[in-house]
Amino acid sequence: MSQRQIRRAVLALAIASSSIAVAGVAASAATPTNVRFVYDFPGPDFELTPLVVGIAEGIYQQAGLKVSLLFPPDTSTTSKMLTTGSADVGFITTSDMAVAVQAKAPLVSIANYSMSNNWGLFAKPGSKLTLANLKGKKIFSWGDTWTNAMLPFVLKKAGLKASDVTVVTASNDIPLLMSGKIDFTTSTSNYGIPGILEATKASPVSIVGAAAGVPNVPVWVYSVTRDYAKNHPATTRAFLAATLKATQWAIKNPAKAVADFVKKYPKSGYSSFYSTKGWGITVPLLTNAQGKFFTQTDAQWTLLANGMKSNGQLKSVPSASTYYTNAFIPQQ
Amino acid sequence: MKSRLLRNVLGSLLSFVLVMGIWQAIVVWGQVAPYIAPRPLDAFRAISGDWSTLWPLTLWTLRETVYGFLAGAVLGVVFGIVMHKIAMLQRVLYPILIVTQAIPIVALAAPLVLMLGFNLGPKIVIVAWIVFFPVTVNVLDGLTHVDGDLLTLARVLGARRWRTFLVIEVPAAIAPLFSGLKIGATYAVTGAIIGEMAASSGSSLALYQHNANANLNAAAVYGTTLIMTAIGISWFLLIVSLEFWATPWRRRVTARRRRIGGKHK
Repeated sequence: MSQRQIRRAVLALAIASSSIAVAGVAASAATPTNVRFVYDFPGPDFELTPLVVGIAEGIYQQAGLKVSLLFPPDTSTTSKMLTTGSADVGFITTSDMAVAVQAKAPLVSIANYSMSNNWGLFAKPGSKLTLANLKGKKIFSWGDTWTNAMLPFVLKKAGLKASDVTVVTASNDIPLLMSGKIDFTTSTSNYGIPGILEATKASPVSIVGAAAGVPNVPVWVYSVTRDYAKNHPATTRAFLAATLKATQWAIKNPAKAVADFVKKYPKSGYSSFYSTKGWGITVPLLTNAQGKFFTQTDAQWTLLANGMKSNGQLKSVPSASTYYTNAFIPQQ
Repeated sequence: MKSRLLRNVLGSLLSFVLVMGIWQAIVVWGQVAPYIAPRPLDAFRAISGDWSTLWPLTLWTLRETVYGFLAGAVLGVVFGIVMHKIAMLQRVLYPILIVTQAIPIVALAAPLVLMLGFNLGPKIVIVAWIVFFPVTVNVLDGLTHVDGDLLTLARVLGARRWRTFLVIEVPAAIAPLFSGLKIGATYAVTGAIIGEMAASSGSSLALYQHNANANLNAAAVYGTTLIMTAIGISWFLLIVSLEFWATPWRRRVTARRRRIGGKHK
């Protein structure tokens, strides 16, 4: 083969391979992979900020994904939407994950959303809220698995039985708290503080995390079905990588991130003040002591499952690996 | 008569078996996961397995249903009569009655909780709210459509207004009243459950179901639904029995023979 022929062959190969590459990119840009993300609550709120930013700032698009956000009819249906194929990726509490595994729902947690437990009791500004004065009080509960899992720890630390307090379950806590129909509400700090702050213009009284006697475990996780993880590993990986980028972007640009949220959901029912405050409190919860996002540990799942078993929510404690995988988390 | 009753009971049993069969078929052939929908037998097992917890909750819901139903029925009858007797009041109240039913009951539940608390109060109001409308409308309808000739006859015979009301108008309104009561009876338990869902302190059937749902315990969710349905059906059947007893003229067109002075008359 002459030098000229070799040059021609190399050139033809280069043109062909670049054409394939261009065609591949064009095809991927033209047909992004759909990812249906289902939230844990029937309506949008500031914890969706990373997802909204990922969509609004084109981060998912760059990753070849088209993410659509879905909302369940109630707080208990997210897991079922995943297992019935109505959604691909879900946002649930770690306690929801634990009961799903117990019910043999084939779910797996692919990343932590938050890394610590910011749940506790909240009261109106100026109220007396201590573990010593819980007896005989009316305490609000959402009736969800998380509150059901955490409240026994509070009562245990306070040395009380379930019958020593009145647990009130309703669809909204702030009006009941403001009207004095309940003494204390249960919430996480990123929801409890902005809610009461907005209603009263003053910071609430609270006992949160270890002070309330609850185990320090992450509250929310991203989850998929085991089949989805097995059949769409690249998409799962791409979703988490893009979500990490979007989360970091939302942390660096909080005002713009909340503006993206408000723009996408102008009728969410939450004020810009509430969402800004809520996202601001959420940010420090998103990383662990090493500054890492998403990473799950055996210890967090074992601690949670043992706690839920001790208060009767779980019949047994399976191995931690039953609950989670870190296989799809991007390098940080 | 007995064979008709037997046929009715058999018909109801067949419908029950048919519904359970369809349910079982959907779950088995559709390979529905047990945490999405259980088999009928599992739902019944969930009830029997936790009966000691469910029975007091059932009684509580039944109490809300009965109290609310009675309040709504009495209110409905009174409204119907008053509106019939005072035409001006009917013109003013009728549109308001329609508006009350156009308000989504769920939207009403939250303010009721704020005003009346978490116990029986809001549940009774919600059930009464649902029940009183069909009763009012039916009573009013019955009273309005009394045979004019009968009223004229009563007037000619010198009957006073009160007597005419008791002897002619009230019997004419009884059949429509029971139609209203039967509609109300069917919906009453729904009202009680909506009230329980809006807010409950301690425990309630709705809260039990809510917790079961959160724990992906579909058997308990469906079991609770069966109990709620049973309450609604039982209450409806009770009203039907009452109607059967209170309206004998609907079953026979001739008067019963009465013995007078030892002879048939």
